[in-house]
Amino acid sequence: MLAMRHISKVFRTDLIETHALRDFSLEVAEGEFVAVTGPSGSGKTTFLNVAGLLEGFDTGTYHLDGVDTNGLSDDARSRLRNEKIGFIFQSFNLIPDLDIFDNVDVPLRYRRMKAAERRERITSALDLVGLASRAHHLPSQLSGGQQQRVAIARAIAGDPKFLLADEPTGNLDSLMARQVMDLLEQINEMGTTIVLVTHDPELARRAQRNVQVIDGQVSDFRPYEPHAQPATFAAAAAG
Amino acid sequence: MITQDIRPILSALLRNRTGAVLVALQVAIALAVLVNAVYIVKQRVDKIGRPTGVDIGNIIVIDTIGFGAGYDHMATVRDDLGWLRSQPGVRAATVVSQIPLSGSGSSNRLFKTPEAKGEGVPMNYFLLDDSGVDALGVKLAAGRKFRQEEILPEDPTFNQPVPSMIVTRALAKSLFGTDNAIGKVAYDALGRPVTVTGVIEHMQGSWVDWDKLDHVGLLPRQPSGPNATYLVRTEAGRRNAISKLAEEHLSASNARRVVQHVRPLDYYRNRSYQSDRNIAIFLVAVTALLACVTALGIFALATFNVNVRTRQIGTRRAVGARKVDVVRYFMVENWLITTGGVLLGAALALGVGYSLSRAYELPRLDLYYLVGGVVALWALGQAAAWQPARRAARIAPSVATRTV
Ligand SMILES: Nc1ncnc2c1ncn2[C@@H]1O[C@H](COP(=O)(O)OP(=O)(O)OP(=O)(O)O)[C@@H](O)[C@H]1O
Ligand SMILES: [Mg+2]
Repeated sequence: MLAMRHISKVFRTDLIETHALRDFSLEVAEGEFVAVTGPSGSGKTTFLNVAGLLEGFDTGTYHLDGVDTNGLSDDARSRLRNEKIGFIFQSFNLIPDLDIFDNVDVPLRYRRMKAAERRERITSALDLVGLASRAHHLPSQLSGGQQQRVAIARAIAGDPKFLLADEPTGNLDSLMARQVMDLLEQINEMGTTIVLVTHDPELARRAQRNVQVIDGQVSDFRPYEPHAQPATFAAAAAG
Repeated sequence: MITQDIRPILSALLRNRTGAVLVALQVAIALAVLVNAVYIVKQRVDKIGRPTGVDIGNIIVIDTIGFGAGYDHMATVRDDLGWLRSQPGVRAATVVSQIPLSGSGSSNRLFKTPEAKGEGVPMNYFLLDDSGVDALGVKLAAGRKFRQEEILPEDPTFNQPVPSMIVTRALAKSLFGTDNAIGKVAYDALGRPVTVTGVIEHMQGSWVDWDKLDHVGLLPRQPSGPNATYLVRTEAGRRNAISKLAEEHLSASNARRVVQHVRPLDYYRNRSYQSDRNIAIFLVAVTALLACVTALGIFALATFNVNVRTRQIGTRRAVGARKVDVVRYFMVENWLITTGGVLLGAALALGVGYSLSRAYELPRLDLYYLVGGVVALWALGQAAAWQPARRAARIAPSVATRTV
């Protein structure tokens, strides 16, 4: 379904090379709900960007839904993103000048769908997140939790196989975070594969599988504990 | 496909319209000025480019003046013309009373009957000799050139009538209602007859702003002194060399006569159209400047929009926009803004054109100019937005996750 093997990715700036991913291997099966945790700067977002075809990588192979993503053109990557992947961002990333309806419409238009089908999908996606009545509000007229639910509606309206979420609850209070998590579980139960990056161990525990990223590598050694000693991490990384 | 894209672009634009409205206003003003300026420039250029009827590129004008008691005008003119006509490369030379297209000239009125009733027909006349037609290079349509024996000295007291004349078709038409005028007789204000012996196709007279510029008559007379002005028509390409030669010779050949100017006839025409040319140049400069400023405004707005929407563009890319979709977004948005501007500008242009045409008695603005102006501003807008749109397309999709 999603298979990364020996991926490495280096960010080069004038002064330093950052090995954001090194020999990174991970498989996610269809229908899974995987939570990715790890310390700040460990490479979680980089992994998600590579997985979501937002960024390329230097070495290794990555198959997405059976497609080898190596050497795909920019347009082909855009199309794969549009058809197979739904993104949920920490800061929602709704378009402030478009109302809720038009925001959910954005990826559907890039798919050149007919107006009637778009309308149907938008309505049912908004129904699912409980915001159908707000279709013609602007994002600024909604609370943070509501905005994130709109973003979820946008992500699922195109019926993607994968949902990639980078700390979707990072900007929400715990009640709203739980609501968003409920929604993600519901979507997962309907068959969508979800990869969720989070700092919140409570949320991570609700996923079927936890993957910990340390220093650009998957570490299945032990679940991430925010209170763990740095020395333990060093040992874990070395082991 | 494009029209499907327009609705959300337009609603986003309308929710955030301050900059767009300002740029649209700028486009509107640019269109109004552009269209009217181009129209006026076109008129001036047409005016300057009217056919002169004379061999304008190959004629030298020599201006001389005699002085002192010992100056013999008739003999000097005879000698000068004799020398000029004998030069290789000279096709013809005549002495003339006024310089065509120079802004100074003479006119009188002709009448259809000896009673000289009514307004009469104005005639801008030139006194010249039997080489006059050839020296001007005008085309004889009917009749004949002057004969040598017709050429008498000018009578400054006007007591002696002029029996024959050569007229332009335009003057013949005004006088007789037909340009088939050979043998027809007109009368001067004193009722003295003058018979048309030749008709020339076309010739512009003295004053380029006069609406009867082509009402020209040639009279067989040698202008009196002490001024003598010669028109010398050369073979193509010989004008400048012969000018130099003539200036040298005439300056030295007669101690009682000075050569004031030796200039191409072009010089006088250009001088007459100076203000027309200045207006045209000024309007072209203003219009070009305005176009630059407008393009800059469009460019600045597009650049600003790209900058404030960096995250939005990244997000669009992340959810599936191709680069070309991003470019198209900004091009369509820009097109909407310019279109708003040109609609307003078209109304403005028609209004300005209408009041200009009333105030200055200019003909009304041609709609083709408006259509051309609209197309030009659309193109200008798209060109100005192109670079920012391309820059927008280069924004990485990862901006969506990387910026907080
Ligand atoms: N565009 C970039 N240029 C240079 N270095 C980068 C760039 N993006 C990320 N990095 C570096 O790559 C490493 C991994 O970053 P990444 O954003 O993947 O971490 P993260 O696990 O998502 O951290 P956080 O939990 O704080 O979001 C970091 O050291 C970061 O500084
Ligand atoms: Mg991150």
